[in-house]
Amino acid sequence: MKCAGTIDVRDIDESSINIDPIQVGGRLTADAMKAIIAYGDGYSVCDQCRKPFRLDYIKTPPVDHFHLDLASFVNMDIARVVPGARRGFQAVADAFISPGDPVLITALSHYTEVLAIEGRAGVIREIPKTESTIITADLAANKIEEVTREFHRSPVLLFLDHFDYQYGNCHDLGGIIKVAHQYDIPVLYNGAYTVGIMPVDGKNMGADFVVGSGHKSMAAPAPSGMLATTSEWAGRVFRTTGVKTDVTARTFGIKEIGMMGCTLMGVTLIGMMASFPHVRERVNHWERELANGRKVVDALRSIEGTIIQSEYPRKHTLTRVDTTGSFDRVAQTHKKRGFFFSSALKERGIAGIIPGATKVWKFNTYGMTSSQAEYLAAAFRDIARENGLIVTD
Amino acid sequence: MVIFVSKRAIDAVFEGFFLLTDIRVMLRETAPKHDLDENQREKVRSLLDALEKDVAVLREELA
Repeated sequence: MKCAGTIDVRDIDESSINIDPIQVGGRLTADAMKAIIAYGDGYSVCDQCRKPFRLDYIKTPPVDHFHLDLASFVNMDIARVVPGARRGFQAVADAFISPGDPVLITALSHYTEVLAIEGRAGVIREIPKTESTIITADLAANKIEEVTREFHRSPVLLFLDHFDYQYGNCHDLGGIIKVAHQYDIPVLYNGAYTVGIMPVDGKNMGADFVVGSGHKSMAAPAPSGMLATTSEWAGRVFRTTGVKTDVTARTFGIKEIGMMGCTLMGVTLIGMMASFPHVRERVNHWERELANGRKVVDALRSIEGTIIQSEYPRKHTLTRVDTTGSFDRVAQTHKKRGFFFSSALKERGIAGIIPGATKVWKFNTYGMTSSQAEYLAAAFRDIARENGLIVTD
Repeated sequence: MVIFVSKRAIDAVFEGFFLLTDIRVMLRETAPKHDLDENQREKVRSLLDALEKDVAVLREELA
């Protein structure tokens, strides 16, 4: 079936259990789907835009209140919507990094943090991870000392992922932020895999900036996200234009430079807003999500030769698994080779694993019902048994 | 011939979309087997009833 022309209908989530590690937290709520039907046109939230002509002042729909709600949601002072977490990283990088400045990330940081720093010609230094793939306060302290010796000054900014995208491991957020602040290093908390799916309290953790992803964890269309900060830093990252052009003598009101004026002017924002009441409520059910994840992880662990590479017990629904000793062993002799696994999953109505992947892969159980989690767990076990692998009960 | 579509018809169109969206979400919640329990079946029936009323409004407005 086609949507239009050569574009297929996308019905992956209607027809399958989707376990794609980056997609599940961004699936729309029913309210978001309804809102985007009405607000699909370009500048659709701008119908009632009046002076001072800025997104966060629009009252109908209540975009102004939504900005206040967002800040409150992550317990920070002020928030803006941005076209994806990456644009939040970029806005902060633009405000804090000058060419040659040392900037800290971690060995598990997302590539967009790297690009944000590279775009400012900052010098990237990584805090290494432990053997168990955790970023600790001790490692952060050592790296800060090392960088300070190298540059004769402290790093100007630290990007810190609470849960990383590779393993979904939980890092020592409080300890690392405390160490960074001892050196007066502001910390950007990357909540792409937390804000919108579990409780996040920015001030309590001591973050200077909280960045969230609408399309990754807030049930919103892409590209969307949020950047929140404290009143201490708001004036710097959300500074307003002061320019007057030479020929026409134009000025541009209170447009924010770092935001490039208005950010999300239509379907992305309305999707975020419509989902928000549900998102605000769903973060209170993180334990239920973890319980569903455990059902699936335990099923995989029961398959001989399978290794959970993420920390265990799991603290996140995104998990990295190594099936080199199980499903990949089957692939060596199976007539479909490596595609047997994704094919077997597809036959059972499970989607989101890269076709052909049988060695190291990731999945995410966020948002599925308890019965869907049980179905998925049983499917992994069944596929293993059907292919001669030993499964312990 | 120009057909002037009424506000009533516009509302019926959007409401129809929204009702179908609720059914769409139910498909997601019950994927991949779509084994609906009796409560879910009743909810779908109710949504379809409402949808039929919206279609009826559109037919009335067209007449």
